[in-house]
Amino acid sequence: MSVKNQEPNPSAKPANDLVQGTLEMLILKTLALEPMHGFGIALRIEQISQGVFRVNPGSLLPALSRMERGGRVRSEWRATENNRRAKYYTLTANGRRALTAETERWATQTAAITRILEAGNQA
Amino acid sequence: MRQLKNLVHGLRSLINRQRANGEIDEEIDGFLEASAAHKQQNGMSPEQARHAALVEMGSRNTLKHRVWSVWWESAAENLLKDVQLGLRSLAKRPAFTLVALLSLALGIGANTAIFTLIQQVLLSELPVRSPNELVTLGDATNSGIAGGVDVGQYGFFPWYAARQLEANPGPFQGIASFGSFLAKVSVRLPGAAGASQQAQLAAAGLVSGNYFKVLGAHAFLGRTLSPADDSTPDTGAVVVVSFHYWQSVLSSDPAILGKTLTINGTPFEVVGVMPPGFEGLKIGLDLADVWTPSTMQTVILQKPSMLTPNSGLFFLNMFARLSPKAAADPHVRAQSQLWLEQQVHSMIRAGEGGTISAARQKEIEHETIPLVPASHGVSYLHDTYRQSLWVLMAVVVLVLLIACANLANFLLARAATRQREIATRLALGSSRARIVRQSLIETLILSLGGGILGLAFAFAATRALIAFVSEGNAWIALSPAPNATVLLFTLGMSLATGALFGIGPALAITRTAAQHSLSSSSRTAGGGRSKAARWWPKSLIVGQVMLSLLLLVTAGFFLQTLRNLQHQDFGFERNFLLLARFDARLAGYSPVQTAALHQRLIDRLSSIPGVQSVALAETPPISSGNWRSNISLSGYTPAPKENMNSVLNRVSGRYFETTGISIVSGRAISATDTANSLKVAVVNEALARRFFPKGNAIGQTLTIGIDSVKGPWQIVGIARDTKASNPRNEKPELMTYIPLAQIDAFLPADAAAPSAPKQENQDRYASFILLRTSGAPSARIADLRAAIASVDPHLPLIDVSTIGEDVARMMGKEELSSSLTSIFAVLALLLAAIGLFGVMNYNVAQRTNEMGVRLALGAQRQNVLWIVLREALLLLSLGAGLGLPLSWAASRYVRDQLFGLKADDPLTYAGALIVVSCVVLLSAWIPARRAAAINPVDALRYE
Repeated sequence: MSVKNQEPNPSAKPANDLVQGTLEMLILKTLALEPMHGFGIALRIEQISQGVFRVNPGSLLPALSRMERGGRVRSEWRATENNRRAKYYTLTANGRRALTAETERWATQTAAITRILEAGNQA
Repeated sequence: MRQLKNLVHGLRSLINRQRANGEIDEEIDGFLEASAAHKQQNGMSPEQARHAALVEMGSRNTLKHRVWSVWWESAAENLLKDVQLGLRSLAKRPAFTLVALLSLALGIGANTAIFTLIQQVLLSELPVRSPNELVTLGDATNSGIAGGVDVGQYGFFPWYAARQLEANPGPFQGIASFGSFLAKVSVRLPGAAGASQQAQLAAAGLVSGNYFKVLGAHAFLGRTLSPADDSTPDTGAVVVVSFHYWQSVLSSDPAILGKTLTINGTPFEVVGVMPPGFEGLKIGLDLADVWTPSTMQTVILQKPSMLTPNSGLFFLNMFARLSPKAAADPHVRAQSQLWLEQQVHSMIRAGEGGTISAARQKEIEHETIPLVPASHGVSYLHDTYRQSLWVLMAVVVLVLLIACANLANFLLARAATRQREIATRLALGSSRARIVRQSLIETLILSLGGGILGLAFAFAATRALIAFVSEGNAWIALSPAPNATVLLFTLGMSLATGALFGIGPALAITRTAAQHSLSSSSRTAGGGRSKAARWWPKSLIVGQVMLSLLLLVTAGFFLQTLRNLQHQDFGFERNFLLLARFDARLAGYSPVQTAALHQRLIDRLSSIPGVQSVALAETPPISSGNWRSNISLSGYTPAPKENMNSVLNRVSGRYFETTGISIVSGRAISATDTANSLKVAVVNEALARRFFPKGNAIGQTLTIGIDSVKGPWQIVGIARDTKASNPRNEKPELMTYIPLAQIDAFLPADAAAPSAPKQENQDRYASFILLRTSGAPSARIADLRAAIASVDPHLPLIDVSTIGEDVARMMGKEELSSSLTSIFAVLALLLAAIGLFGVMNYNVAQRTNEMGVRLALGAQRQNVLWIVLREALLLLSLGAGLGLPLSWAASRYVRDQLFGLKADDPLTYAGALIVVSCVVLLSAWIPARRAAAINPVDALRYE
């Protein structure tokens, strides 16, 4: 076996084309509906985005770990539908507030970007 | 709250790393399983699904690392790991670690020790309110009783002037005065049963009633003195004691207030105890035990009253508290000073009486009273040790720099040998930052370890230094225990040291390693070191040569100064003289009784076998005592306001014979000069030369400005000049000796009140017994004590010393600075030698291969030797080329402290250069010889 580089390799972007900084918002949104485990979150994002965003564990699990320490989600070990133990994440009040704020910010930004792009089209 | 949770979480996962790790693993496993199950549902085979899930995840370890590293505890863990790694790597090289720790401990310890002294002697402020507002009026370090000076001159004030300024402080918040010296008094404790109880000696200070108030000091128990205590002469028998005295002598008696201390036979009521650490404004080697109002002067000093408007005796120092504005603004302060000077000028004018000549008017106008900042208190220690301490501080910083250069060099050499290891680690994905950090942590472990050892070393060193400085007196003003400031200083010093010797090598490690592949052999790795990497060790050597030279030159200066001082002619016998201080007043002798006592003492002591001659005197040959006065001489007309001051001494017959002070012309004072014969005096050469340059001093009459010993005295002899207090004094003091036996028993009758009873003359006492012995003087001490006890068992001997001890004490400061500088210079040289040897050795080892090739190609061994030595010589000459001018430039900071040699003394520079050259060449020669002796075949196989 060859020796693998242990440091993050900058050439392999973990968040598959996911717009920078939006992963956390998507996770928050997903968890706003119900508590979920890691794979459930990934699957839900992939399904809702109709396969546009595919979140792999390499970016999802560190993001969840960061959000848990940040107090936006909390976790507990629970049995899954097929009776396995999994770590379920739940949105906290803090996370809910963050979601509202991020959504608003996102809306403002996309609206602005759209306007810029349309202005470009008209010109 | 969230932070707290984060902290608890982090700590839990740090403590139970296994569990935290297991949870991450379980979550990943769960994810993979769920992902694979999902893929299987979508039609993949179980194998394929599992494989695809694994590929999506990427490296499991990387993922775990990424999850782990978002937590703060991962940083802490990395740090811990680096510390462990650093400790392990240091433990693997015990020799290096030991040398590094020791040199750092010595360097940092020396810095801490000197800083502790600087902080306590020079930097610490008085424990009173706003000490920065305190100023002394003139130079208050002068102590004694002066006569025939102007108000405020030499920092001396008479009582009436002090009283006026205290009552009307003008723009100052307050002005107060204190006796310029402490008096030794006998104290009988409260409850002592009558006279049978042995009296104890204590140091008493006279202070004005507002002294404590102006100083801004409060009592620990009871109250301080108040102006009411100090209102009229010979009233106010109250006393405030120091905390130390209360604790050690009064056994911390909580009910001491209101009790009575009997001081010199007069009862004083204890009204207060001062807090610990309060020592008054003036700090000398003796600490004040008790303070009493100035009005009790006759009791405390056992001298006639100086509290009269025309006593003409100046025995007080004064200080003032500036207004906050004046403390902050030099202009306002100048105005305050102007006001003060005007007050003093009018006092001087009032004192002159009659009409004042224009010249004298002008002179009075020019009298200035500088306001000297006194926030650190008044202490001759400041002045004596200030320069020495700063020079020492500079020296120890240089020593530490040399130690740093050494360690930097060792680490650089090690960085070169670690290139392969570093290259491997970089290839394995370690980041450069991590490697640099790890290397820095190693150096910090060394420097902090060195700092901790240094503190221990400093504690011991400071204790020794304080013992030296305090000259064996019970000294509590200095403490070797490091306080917060010192600890902070040491910590800062350690960190700075670590950074200084660590950052360069740490960066060099990755810089060089990054450029080399794993495949390069040690030879190419060594040979191909970047220019910077080869340049650094050499410049460090040049720097060390430079600094060592500087230190050696400084040490040379101080050693020669010390030798010159010790070997100079003091003008008196320095070997066979025993001195004893006694006080007949404390044993109850009145001035009239002294003549008989003195005669009995001389007779009894002369009969001690091994004693050649005996004399009594007010002051011994070495003394900082200040019995001085202005004098007037027949046949000499002083210029207006010429300084006619002379140091006085009253001596018994055979004083000159006993002390070995030779008489250069005329005759000495002898036993035949009695109360009934012509009053005679002996003056020293300096006085004779100054006033009678034609050599006609003998036969002139001399009158002293103190009524009790006014004279006239006929000069019968001229004695050699002596060095009485400062061994550096190039200009001897003017001295007048008069016979003890010829001092009148009573003061001359007051012309104003001829019917008043005659007052006894307090200036008839002698304070010192001097014995000229034929053998070692210390062998006669027991006989001396026995003899005195046989004359009068109640006569207290205050201390006994040999003249050798007195000379050593006078030389103390000189020895301190020169021996410490020399010790540090030798230490620095030793460190530099270790460093030079290490680096040279390493360089030669790196070039072993090259040497082998040269030898194999037919080079002579001398050539090889020369190649190595040439490099050393080059570095040496560079270092010397920089170091000699640097030393020359630095020498002007010590110029004032030299004695008997100049700051450009060529021998000192040459000597230092020779020593440094020998060290450099020797440390190059040893490895060079080894290199030259190498077998070419071995050398080529060296890889």
